[in-house]
Amino acid sequence: MRALLDASLESINEVLLGKKYQVRLALACLIAGGHLLIEDLPGMGKTTLSQTLARVLGLSFQRIQFTSDLLPSDILGTSVFDKDSGHFEFHQGPIFAELVLADEINRATPKSQSALLEAMEEGQVTIEGATRPLPSPFFVIATQNPSHHSGTFALPESQLDRFLMRLSLGYPAHAAEKALLMGEARRELLPRLPAVFDHAQLQAVQAEVRAVRVTDALVDYVLRLVEATRNQPQFAWGLSPRGSLALVAAARAWALLAGRTYVIPEDVQAVLPAVASHRLRERADTAGQGGAALVQWLLHEVPVL
Amino acid sequence: MNVPRAGLTWLLIGQALLLVPLWWQLPPWLLLFWLVCSAWRIQVYRMRARVPGRGLRTAMVVLAAVAVFFSSGRSFGLETAAALVVAAFLLKLLELNTRRDAWVLLLLGLFCQVVAYLFDASLPWALYSVLPLAALLAAMVGLQGGQGERLGPPLRRAAGLLLQAVPLALLLFVCFPRIAPLWSLPLNSGQARTGLADVVAPGDIATLAQSPELAFRVSFDGPPPARRQLYWRAFTLERFDGRRWQQGGLSRFQAVQPWQPVGEPWRYRVIQEPTDKPWLFALDVARSTAPDVQQTQDYRLQRRRPVDQPLYYSVESWPQVVRDPQLAPALRQQNLQLPATGDPRMRAWASDMARRYPESEALVAAMLQRYHEQDYHYSLRPATLGSDSIDGFFFDTRRGFCAHFAGAMTFALRAAGIPARMVVGYQGGELNPAGNYFTVRQYDAHAWVEYWRQGQGWRSVDPTFAVAPQRIDQGLAEALGADEPFLQGSPFSMLRYRDLAWLNTLRLGWENLNYGWERWVLGYQQAQQSELLLRWFKGWAIWVLPTAGTLTVLLLGLAVLRPWRRQVDRVLRQFLRFERLLGWHGLTRAPGEGPHAFAERAAQQLPGSAQAIHTFAQAYTRQRYAGEAAAPATLAVQLNDVRRSLAGRTGPQRKPLP
Repeated sequence: MRALLDASLESINEVLLGKKYQVRLALACLIAGGHLLIEDLPGMGKTTLSQTLARVLGLSFQRIQFTSDLLPSDILGTSVFDKDSGHFEFHQGPIFAELVLADEINRATPKSQSALLEAMEEGQVTIEGATRPLPSPFFVIATQNPSHHSGTFALPESQLDRFLMRLSLGYPAHAAEKALLMGEARRELLPRLPAVFDHAQLQAVQAEVRAVRVTDALVDYVLRLVEATRNQPQFAWGLSPRGSLALVAAARAWALLAGRTYVIPEDVQAVLPAVASHRLRERADTAGQGGAALVQWLLHEVPVL
Repeated sequence: MNVPRAGLTWLLIGQALLLVPLWWQLPPWLLLFWLVCSAWRIQVYRMRARVPGRGLRTAMVVLAAVAVFFSSGRSFGLETAAALVVAAFLLKLLELNTRRDAWVLLLLGLFCQVVAYLFDASLPWALYSVLPLAALLAAMVGLQGGQGERLGPPLRRAAGLLLQAVPLALLLFVCFPRIAPLWSLPLNSGQARTGLADVVAPGDIATLAQSPELAFRVSFDGPPPARRQLYWRAFTLERFDGRRWQQGGLSRFQAVQPWQPVGEPWRYRVIQEPTDKPWLFALDVARSTAPDVQQTQDYRLQRRRPVDQPLYYSVESWPQVVRDPQLAPALRQQNLQLPATGDPRMRAWASDMARRYPESEALVAAMLQRYHEQDYHYSLRPATLGSDSIDGFFFDTRRGFCAHFAGAMTFALRAAGIPARMVVGYQGGELNPAGNYFTVRQYDAHAWVEYWRQGQGWRSVDPTFAVAPQRIDQGLAEALGADEPFLQGSPFSMLRYRDLAWLNTLRLGWENLNYGWERWVLGYQQAQQSELLLRWFKGWAIWVLPTAGTLTVLLLGLAVLRPWRRQVDRVLRQFLRFERLLGWHGLTRAPGEGPHAFAERAAQQLPGSAQAIHTFAQAYTRQRYAGEAAAPATLAVQLNDVRRSLAGRTGPQRKPLP
């Protein structure tokens, strides 16, 4: 199993150059069973990352381009009258895939956003009175432009909370960008990538993540972190219990990727920026961009031992 | 630390208030010192000055200590210690960098407050001390910040805290064990106290009679004796050198002959003001159960240490006891001592009297008769006497105070072959009707005579009574003539205006309050405490109370500290040792740095020990986070490996410059 994880990391890193930390986080997010939000400027490789992940994990892939005129039925599907049978027949929308890429999610209206987000939480969709299960596994990777870009509807906090992690890829390093320019087009590499996992193996990995050991001492550290977000004055609000569960789940996945069967505080610290920064807001900062600074404060000040 | 404005203001107010009662005990330059320190602190607050650096602060501390040393007359007493504490309290203003400094400063302030009680614990000062206490508490609240700039809210909070503390303070006052001090500093009182001295020249007591200062207070169980029976003995004077009377060696150090109580005793309690002398005041013949008190050969009560603080003791007196029915030869000789020469007229007169009255009682009666009938005057302004002072007084000037009459009579009795001595103490006292106790003041100081008679022992006789009976029956003010105003030296004493009824009532009420304070608050010592607790919790309950108290404290402590929750994590302790070890080599772990990351960093910085460090860190991580069984012993062994690999290194390794 370890070999599979290493191989998949290697494959993704071949496509996405110089982003080992983000790639590892993204993989950890998916094997922990969480949804991923990638926030970055256009053209930074958000789509490439999600396509590569789908490919490597052997998942069926659908991409929904969110625009301001997107309707919920464009995501979920709709019933169409079939005049041969005389019945309405349901046509599945793009959400019925194992990995859904919701591209530029914050360009759609809140109504369409919530259609997707409800599906993410429930694992099923209800259309015209009928509840239809989504495939399993089911992952959503959403991308968004930084919210101060024009023509965006920022995701409210309640919906941000449903993403296990939020990543931003950032500009590539000098050497990586050079290799990118010299090498083949990344999109062309994709079809040639072999799938590393099949469904059974993916399920096994997810089960293994859940079996990673978390001791009292570690939970105490997580609790100290969470309590700090709730008690310290600079935090506008604290982490929710869903947030602390997400933190432990992500730390478990990170530990497994590091080849350990137990979580150490450094695992928690590695995933904390991705897990917590979109769930926190500085009291002094009404625009809601300042979670990263708070997370740095947590990493420095909350005692590990 | 940026000191909040309200906190700083209250702190300075508290310091000023605190310095007031200490002012008389401290060297005057401390005020200047305070002004400098507080002005500096204010300028720091206004960002016009910098906090003094370490060097300057050290210099100021040394300077203050040297100044205290020199201004204390180079002896280390209580005043010196107090001055040092106060100087530290003032200096700490300049070292107010962290919140902890502020705590230290406030605690020092509270300590200074307690120090002030050592000098004066009277009721007015005790009431006054609420002010600095409240100011310091307000400063404590203000230093927390968050109360804004205004001065009112911290003070209100402080007052609330003080009020809440009152019940607890009362409980502790009543129940907290009074523990004798483990060590004590001498109270080097530079100024002499007003009171009886060891050596008495005839005019001394007359000087004392000008002073309205309090000497002691007495309250009787049951009806008090008549005023003319209130002869409060302090000590006796036996040696006469022709001019002054002094104490005899025997009476001071030799224990009294055992005696048996006869008849009904008077029982009373005395609160004595400090005299810096060892003797206590009591009626004849006294016995006290107070600790450390013994009765010496002249029937005085004497303490081992001088009375340097108000002293509370109870006494029983048996007036009918016969004292020394047989007189030892040495004592007899001591009480017949006269200077070899001088006062020839008195000697001649005495031997003539002895011939005429062979019975000593008749002789004494004849002498009193002479005092009464001839032209003797009771006066606070006796005429100056020449070299033969007894002759000069007895035959020529005939004006004198009690010591003159008593001195002349003692001399005459001795010259007539009768053992006699002068007794010094106080006579009478003012009965406070509201509190039913006597107040005895310095102007009640008195001297009288004791002579010895075979089989009947020592007998007291007061020649002043023969001259001025109103002194004994009513007091000094009534005994003095119209030309001699009472308390001439103290124009503001309320005692001078006793004729104004309302003022007198006010004065007596105030004295009563003070008496209650001294008796019930200051006088509440170990003996009184156990007596009170015994009365409240009779019999078995005396054991219940301490047990219940201990249990309560124990349970409170358990509830607050919860030791069972603080499991001794021996694995963690090994890691902390590891951390300390690396700390000596210049590696400190930030609170947010994980053990693994710390070990990585250490291994990079100390490549020679990388192996040992990794081994330890991995073992620790596995035991703490992987659920492995805790094995602190293994960790200790591995830690030793790290230590050994680090041996020989001293201090942080410096990288060579590129």
